[in-house]
Amino acid sequence: MLNHIWLALIVIGILTAAGRDVYDVVQNSYGNGIPWDVRLEDDAAARAPVSQKGGVRTAALSLRKTVQISAAELRRHFPTDTIDGGVSIPAVYMQHEDGKRSLVMDVTGEDVPERFVVMAEALGGGQKLSAQLERKGDGWRMRIDDVSLVYLRKVTNAAFEIAGVAVQIAIGLIGIMALWLGVMRVAEQAGLINHLARLVRPITVRLFPDVPADHPAVGSMIMNISANMLGLGNAATPFGLKAMEELDKLNPKHGVATDAMVTFLALNTSCVTLIPATAIAVRAAAGSSDPAFIIGTSFLASLTATIFAVIISKLLSRVRIWRWERSEAE
Amino acid sequence: MMEVFRVIVSVLSAVAIPALMLFFLAYGAFKKVKVYETAVEGAKEGFEIAVRIIPYLVLMLVSIAVFRASGAMDVFITLVSPITDLFGIPAEALPMAMMRPLSGSGSLGIMTETMQAYGTDSFIGILVSTLYGSTETTFYVLAVYFGAVGIRNTRHALPTGLLADFIAFLAAVFFVGLVL
Repeated sequence: MLNHIWLALIVIGILTAAGRDVYDVVQNSYGNGIPWDVRLEDDAAARAPVSQKGGVRTAALSLRKTVQISAAELRRHFPTDTIDGGVSIPAVYMQHEDGKRSLVMDVTGEDVPERFVVMAEALGGGQKLSAQLERKGDGWRMRIDDVSLVYLRKVTNAAFEIAGVAVQIAIGLIGIMALWLGVMRVAEQAGLINHLARLVRPITVRLFPDVPADHPAVGSMIMNISANMLGLGNAATPFGLKAMEELDKLNPKHGVATDAMVTFLALNTSCVTLIPATAIAVRAAAGSSDPAFIIGTSFLASLTATIFAVIISKLLSRVRIWRWERSEAE
Repeated sequence: MMEVFRVIVSVLSAVAIPALMLFFLAYGAFKKVKVYETAVEGAKEGFEIAVRIIPYLVLMLVSIAVFRASGAMDVFITLVSPITDLFGIPAEALPMAMMRPLSGSGSLGIMTETMQAYGTDSFIGILVSTLYGSTETTFYVLAVYFGAVGIRNTRHALPTGLLADFIAFLAAVFFVGLVL
């Protein structure tokens, strides 16, 4: 199942990206090759020339301006978008030594069309979209470089970026894992984890019939679930991974998940939440009048999910394709 | 009432870690365990587990990142919305429900956006934050936990996790509807 979903995410992702890019080429969604007719207005807020640092730009003159683009122009270039009206975008106008003029638009503003933001990123300018300028009557003719294969590029960048992030996440775990598994080892040697396991024996023998009630795995699982309930994610992960290691010691088939592991992960992912700290913090930051309102609803929703998760894990373990007897060891 | 509960839990979560550490180590010392040497042995194991996770985590996160960057989610939501309408699930909360099991940072972003668009204290706003608060990033948890012990055949773990997420979603719709 995980195999198929994993493959499906990649295949669907790449095909969708390719499909969208082909659509954009066919429709010319980015208005490639069509020059823009625009007007430049002096920026009242900042009339002064832009200061230049250490010869990075070769412009002889640069001024802050606003680019006025009419709704008709936007519709002509972006045929697949719905356009509500014209826009004015802050920009830096530059006149170069060789007489050429160019423009760098700042696409961070609220009313800037989404399309421009995507184009700026695709052309490697981040939040700045560059264009060449020519005089045309009393206005200007603006040319922007062609943009294509936006989604395929996005997919490539995302894949490379996240591969690095994944390693950082794992490396970041090292410290916290070392600390907690160190402390855990002391507790284990002192016999504390076994005491803990014995305390919750009536529950665990039913949840995990294959795990001996005084096995160290039970203690670690309890610690993991308690830490999760309190919202202590940093402590929960080391306990949980320790629990998985202990459960794996009872596993006769290397590389195959046991029923106990699946039930444990079902408990873990649906875990009863006493206090959803992150969600409350985001609500408070977004200006909610009662950020903590969701404590009750989260608790009830997660409790329901946890009960069902355990039942589902027990039921699915009997489905033929997932049955333990049919799982091949490596 | 809710406020009292919140204070109790937040005090508990602040005190839990130092208290646990003190109790474990002190109890170990009392039982004549060589505290430092033993802790170092355990810590080595922690290092190994964290490194062992890397290939699992890289491959899992890459496949999710590819899916997200392609914009396939929007297409998917258009496809499933007729079905979810039958369950009375608001279409505005669908991106959140889809993203939650896949990506923690992605769903955090969607929660923030959705609350900005529909209001933090609206039905949709409370629903998405309840959803974020009540479920975990299933794919991430599976990659890390199974990766730590080298499990490649995960059997019914993923369907169990995703069905549980779906039930959490239905329960969130139900309970939020009940209190509002």
